[in-house]
Amino acid sequence: MNLKELYQEIILEHGKNPRNLRKTNDFNKDAKGNNPLCGDNVHVYLKLNEQKKVEDISFEGSGCAISMASASIMTDLIKGRNENEVKEIIEDFLSMIKENPELKSKNLEEDEKTKLMCLSGVKQYPMRVKCATLSWHTLVSAFENKKKQVNTEN
Amino acid sequence: MNIDTIKKEFPIFDEKIHNNDLVYLDSANSSQKPKIVIERINEFYTKQFSNVGRSVHYLAVAATNLYENTRTSIQRYINAKDKNEIVFTKGATEALNLVANTLGQKYLEEGDEIIITELEHHSNYVPWHFLRKLKNIKINFAEINEDGEVPLENIEKIITSKTKIISINHLSNVTGAILPIKEITQLAHSKGIIVVVDGCQGAPHLKLDMQDLDCDFYAISCHKMYGPTGLGILYGKKKWLEDLPPYQGGGGMISEVKKDRISYGNLPNKYEAGTMATAQVIAFDKSIKFLESIGIDNVMKHEAELMKYGQELLQKNNTVKLIGNPKNKGAVLSFNIEGIHPHDVATILDEDGIAIRAGHHCCQILHDKLNIPASARASIGVYNTKDDLDKLNESINKCKKIFNL
Repeated sequence: MNLKELYQEIILEHGKNPRNLRKTNDFNKDAKGNNPLCGDNVHVYLKLNEQKKVEDISFEGSGCAISMASASIMTDLIKGRNENEVKEIIEDFLSMIKENPELKSKNLEEDEKTKLMCLSGVKQYPMRVKCATLSWHTLVSAFENKKKQVNTEN
Repeated sequence: MNIDTIKKEFPIFDEKIHNNDLVYLDSANSSQKPKIVIERINEFYTKQFSNVGRSVHYLAVAATNLYENTRTSIQRYINAKDKNEIVFTKGATEALNLVANTLGQKYLEEGDEIIITELEHHSNYVPWHFLRKLKNIKINFAEINEDGEVPLENIEKIITSKTKIISINHLSNVTGAILPIKEITQLAHSKGIIVVVDGCQGAPHLKLDMQDLDCDFYAISCHKMYGPTGLGILYGKKKWLEDLPPYQGGGGMISEVKKDRISYGNLPNKYEAGTMATAQVIAFDKSIKFLESIGIDNVMKHEAELMKYGQELLQKNNTVKLIGNPKNKGAVLSFNIEGIHPHDVATILDEDGIAIRAGHHCCQILHDKLNIPASARASIGVYNTKDDLDKLNESINKCKKIFNL
């Protein structure tokens, strides 16, 4: 267990000043996520254009440093990419948090991978994995435009 | 039993948590178990096990007697008038569901009103919500004041001619407010209103006297009271338990079963369908004896000292904001640290072996009202010491350091 690995500078900074913490006015896809055990909640807004490119992504919600930083880093990374690329990155990230030692996506630059790997500290804290993945699962749900709220317990 | 050496009675404190001594401050969630309770479960299964109330063989008779002994101990401990006013359930949640379900079936009609408070745990709200859906009744919330307590007048002013039930907690699991149950009951009874008390947090920390409180029902969670999990108690006045319909059907709760008719057993069997949590009931007798050996007055004195010490300590710590400042407060210190989410606090404290809870503590209505998504909660039990609270305070300072505050 290493708290320094969990709470790296970049996590604390994003947690304190989350990027894209707002509501995209003309969003065309969105989804809500909720962690009933923690009380964390997130609402992800997406604006996809006709070429299926993410023109804007934002989120609203509240949660711990890990969940806020994860949503902040995610939205920063996703903006401007097309849907297929985004889905591949989501899958890669979730596999990394779950089991893979590193990120494999060819769609990510090295510095982007480094940033995402800052969230890998949660692997040592099983109860906190959900904090890191809530916004990502919610983003998947937004792409599918699911009406049912993402719930970490289901 | 000397309260200063009580930690020794709890084997869990021999364990190391991340190489630290355990500082257990999560007793409002569930308390630790004294050795005599743990050993009693083992002993019962090893030497005495049988199902109760059914067979005539030696073990069955002995187990039945042990099971009923616990009922008698509880009757004595909570000063109930009659032993048969004690019903075993799988938890306080089931006890509250039992009351809501049976009272609802028999006495509630469309338009009737129930009063609960903004402090209630979900288990004293959701069962009533079922009735709201099923019978179209209304639930009115008595508001908290700025200290996180519910004064009598906040209940009084929302009573109407349609109010049938007031269901309230004895001690809030978030603000620690102790509600004036006796006064609320007097007021309610003067208007013919039934009083149900969620005693989950009251029972482990307060002196209980059902005849003095005079409430109609009182729900207890045994695992918060140094007892085993899977066990709760519903105290109900005999006149109600005799009058209300059964809750669950099955073996043990019947009198006679025919193809065209069924009659139900007498109290308390009527409400104890199926094989009950036998070992837990029998071991819970030791929990009662444990509390009696210390003496509830000593428990209350010890915990009041700890609460005073803890409150002063956290009040002195800038950036820590205590949640609720009730005049009459027990057992829980809920707080937030400005700039750090409670979950991060809980993870950092855990590293030092300090167990607290973070979240909404099954009280979303209250957290919405306080306009906070979550809170951190340190809650105490008989085994805690001032040293535990000092360690809590030190670890809170460590949180601030990690977060550069």
